[in-house]
Amino acid sequence: MQVIFIDSEGMKTTITAAPGDSVMHCATAHLVPGLIGECGGAMACATCHGYVGADWSRQLPPPSTQEREVLSGCLDVQPHSRLTCQITLTAALDGLTITLPASQT
Amino acid sequence: MAQIAPLLPEIDFAYDDVTNLHQLLDALRHHGPVVRIKFLGAPTWAILDHKLLNQAFNDVKNFDASAAYRLNSEPSMGRTLLAMAGEEHRTSRALVAPAFLPAKVRSYIQPLIEPVAHELLDRIAGKREVDFVQAFTRPYPFTVITRLLGIPVHDEEILLQWAVKLIDFPWDPTGALEAKKAFDSYMQTIIDDRRHKPTDDFVSLLAHAAFEGQKLDDERILALFRLLFPAGSDTTYKNGGSLFASVLADPELRARARRSDQDREALVTEGLRWQTPTAMLPRMATGDITLGGASIKKGDWVLFGITAANRDPAVFPDPHKFDPTRDNRALISFGRGMHFCLGMHLGRRELETALRVVLTRYPDIRLKPGSAIEFVGAVLRGPRALWVQPYGDA
Repeated sequence: MQVIFIDSEGMKTTITAAPGDSVMHCATAHLVPGLIGECGGAMACATCHGYVGADWSRQLPPPSTQEREVLSGCLDVQPHSRLTCQITLTAALDGLTITLPASQT
Repeated sequence: MAQIAPLLPEIDFAYDDVTNLHQLLDALRHHGPVVRIKFLGAPTWAILDHKLLNQAFNDVKNFDASAAYRLNSEPSMGRTLLAMAGEEHRTSRALVAPAFLPAKVRSYIQPLIEPVAHELLDRIAGKREVDFVQAFTRPYPFTVITRLLGIPVHDEEILLQWAVKLIDFPWDPTGALEAKKAFDSYMQTIIDDRRHKPTDDFVSLLAHAAFEGQKLDDERILALFRLLFPAGSDTTYKNGGSLFASVLADPELRARARRSDQDREALVTEGLRWQTPTAMLPRMATGDITLGGASIKKGDWVLFGITAANRDPAVFPDPHKFDPTRDNRALISFGRGMHFCLGMHLGRRELETALRVVLTRYPDIRLKPGSAIEFVGAVLRGPRALWVQPYGDA
């Protein structure tokens, strides 16, 4: 399966990923620019913020209260903002596209 | 496991200056990724390898951080986030975390940082040479915290005395508990005030924070305030010294520091890697575990070798070189997992702002020629002193 990352300047990176992995880990393992994931997936650093398109957003479980709290502290938040460490890939998410905010370089 | 003799037994990593720490760590690395060294007079494990350290930070079963903090700091510091685990930690952290996330740092904290930098730099105007650690890097993060807490300037000195004493519990329990009483009573007045008349400041934000139907009681707010000084002041000040020592020594780095926000971010990140302020973090094993060939037993002290992991050649090529262009995403300076440094964004903004303001105010500032810089300490590490000439050779 594939996950597509688009940075704030429109540059597209396509990563071959495996179900079960987190979107954050999939990006950091392939050095995708614009995503840091510094705490390693504990919702503690707010450096893996990404925008999920509206269509994809509907297919994801909604964010937990803790994720919503952390998102509220991120910069440039949009309606479909997520912490990518909290999105676990499934086969149904093949082609998932994540746009990354400019504030996270 | 005291029967396994430490390597380099002539060195005590708790008490000695270890100016050559990185050389020592390289020598130790040849013996394995997890070694025995001497700390507080006793053999202690040290994790040197990046991958294993990452694993240990995330292993809350065998390395529950709260065990060490409950023992050494809870009596005087109270129940800080570091002494909590599980559900108690999750909800308590969620209540205070938003105040430290980028959006709030930008609106509540950033406007405080730059004026503090200017005030301290005003005081060195006209001086031919100063110890930049005493004049700037040490008071800077401390003052940012006192301003954040709404403490008037004329009380900053007494606050500093209490804050320093609070963490002295293992050596001076009576003094630490007295300091706690005085600190609490002082801060309680400010909390009471903000509970009744909220403003748009940091204390009001905490006094009225809510998460899953819970709010912060006074003791939880006080515990956070007590923790702010050692967690947010000592670390940033040590790292500020190391950062300026590197940047001022190299014309290319200095030019980069004047260029752009992105350049300053890269310099700060590389400074955090190259001379990590929380160099070796003492933790206690809370389970039996074999890590990197070492049989660690429950109750053993273990040093998390953050600075060693940040110079692990398998992760950071040519690790001793200060290179702001390297990929630093594996940086482990702020820890990993649920106890990941709450003040990471604040600390970074302080250091980036310091670089910009110092080099704008004193564009010719330079290290005093012939003055050697010694980095000291294996727990908290930074330069002992940093003699600079604010106006260059003028």
